[in-house]
Amino acid sequence: MEKIHSPFSNAAELALAARHEIIKMTSVAKASHVASALSVVDILSTLYAGSADISSSKLDDPTRDIVILSKGHSASALYSVLALQGFFPIEWLADYCKNDAPLGGHVTSKGVPGVELSTGSLGHGLPYGLGIAMSRKKSGVSGRVFVVLSDGECDEGTIWESAMIANHHGLDNLVVIVDRNKIQSLTFTEDTLKLEPFADKWKAFGWETEEIPGHDYQALQKSLATQSAPKCIIADTTKGKGVDFMENSVLWHYKSPSTDDVTKAFEQLSENY
Amino acid sequence: MRDTFVKTLLKEAKKDPNIILMTGDLGFGVLDEFQKELPAQFINSGVNEQTMMGLAGGYASTGKRVFVYSIGNFPTLRCLEQIRNDVCLMNNSVVVVSVGAGYAYGSQGYTHHALEDIAVLRALPNMDVIVPADPHETIGITQLLTTTKNPSYLRLGKSNEPLIHDKEVSITPGKINEITSGADGTIIFSGSVGVIALEAAKELESQAISVSVASMPFVSRIDLDYLKESAKRGPIIIVEEHSYRGGVGSAVLETLSMQGITAQVALVASAQTNLSQIGDQDFLRNENGINVFSIVSKFKALLAG
Repeated sequence: MEKIHSPFSNAAELALAARHEIIKMTSVAKASHVASALSVVDILSTLYAGSADISSSKLDDPTRDIVILSKGHSASALYSVLALQGFFPIEWLADYCKNDAPLGGHVTSKGVPGVELSTGSLGHGLPYGLGIAMSRKKSGVSGRVFVVLSDGECDEGTIWESAMIANHHGLDNLVVIVDRNKIQSLTFTEDTLKLEPFADKWKAFGWETEEIPGHDYQALQKSLATQSAPKCIIADTTKGKGVDFMENSVLWHYKSPSTDDVTKAFEQLSENY
Repeated sequence: MRDTFVKTLLKEAKKDPNIILMTGDLGFGVLDEFQKELPAQFINSGVNEQTMMGLAGGYASTGKRVFVYSIGNFPTLRCLEQIRNDVCLMNNSVVVVSVGAGYAYGSQGYTHHALEDIAVLRALPNMDVIVPADPHETIGITQLLTTTKNPSYLRLGKSNEPLIHDKEVSITPGKINEITSGADGTIIFSGSVGVIALEAAKELESQAISVSVASMPFVSRIDLDYLKESAKRGPIIIVEEHSYRGGVGSAVLETLSMQGITAQVALVASAQTNLSQIGDQDFLRNENGINVFSIVSKFKALLAG
């Protein structure tokens, strides 16, 4: 019998449980991107623990909120949070990346309740979320659209095209949260393609913009609560957050945790949370 | 063809508020009436095809049928991955509409020639590629596309295409529309090159060879029954305003091969000999081998065996 987990209402508790699942599943699957998942998991946990109006029983409600994880390589974070919030059986996580399993290495929507869009190629989630937000706005349908981006993803032109369009159409039902961990595929964002002054860019594009500490649940909740225009929340995060040997390291964009790494990482989680 | 498309779409959209027309800032003088009459169902996203196509996918996911309109390569090749991931993979209800098939924008240069779009879009899973022959077919096909929900690609000509059918035709998905029938072989075409196919049939007739001429608008859904009959009848020439590589002719040949049907087939398509050659549509068709002479000579060569 597959087990549906009872949802958390507390973002911190959800995020800690998700961190354990992320480390386990990336280890078992020998998958990459564990540090990206640990970076974004507090943002996703805050959204799914109450800041976004979405739950497994509300999936058919056309006015519910929508969450799109555009940085599809952080799939293990989204799957963990969704499983822990009861969207699908928790056992699915153990089969991450296995042959014919529902959960693929990059975010897969088909047959996975709660996932709105298959992602993995960067720069797709925001235009797609923009389309949902625009349709709702034009049709007078309530409910907000949250799109979670990576900072490296903001190298893509579609991000800035979308930023212009959202402002032009006054989409005050669209929120971007940038997981600003300052590291991308090969090195630091500022050594790859300068994003700074990052907040000023979003402001210049007409977005209500806030820079907040990205692992601070209260700051996230507060920032997610209100908006009067398209809103960009730049969440200052640490790649690999919570496990010191994974933090701020490009290596852990790719490396999969060994059994030893898992043990050490779990010890760290007990100390740090 | 584009005016017929927009008029037909407007008529249907007035009845169905879920029909949306989106453009990437093109369609001057063509989309005005739609925009004026149904502003809530019209979106000009600006010059940003990649974002526009992703936007269309998301928009369609809310229960809308979104027609995305632009010229030739812009709503197709420019935003290919958005069509692949956000439309086809998600099976969203989007119709990609391109105007200017083949050399319709002849003198505007190669950037405006649509010669690889069929090959690329028909390779995408879930995508239904449709190429109307004339305004009469455009009416029926546009109406059909307002009632279906699958990802589709509507490849239109531009303006003032000659009528190939003498009246409106009833459209059956996946079916070839025969225009004239003959005993010695078949010329199958897609798009407004039908006019060349009909001329070639006349030329063959003057040489006492009678051929059937048929429009094949459904490129992703091959009319197997018609192909089987044609293969029995004699040589088959497939005419299209597209590259030889991967177009309508390739689609037919793949099907014949997979079905184990033996047929004598030759393709008349663009040789793309000089990408930078300037000229109008008729000139460039002729220069690239899409002409009566090619059809007649290839047919006779096959007939002679």
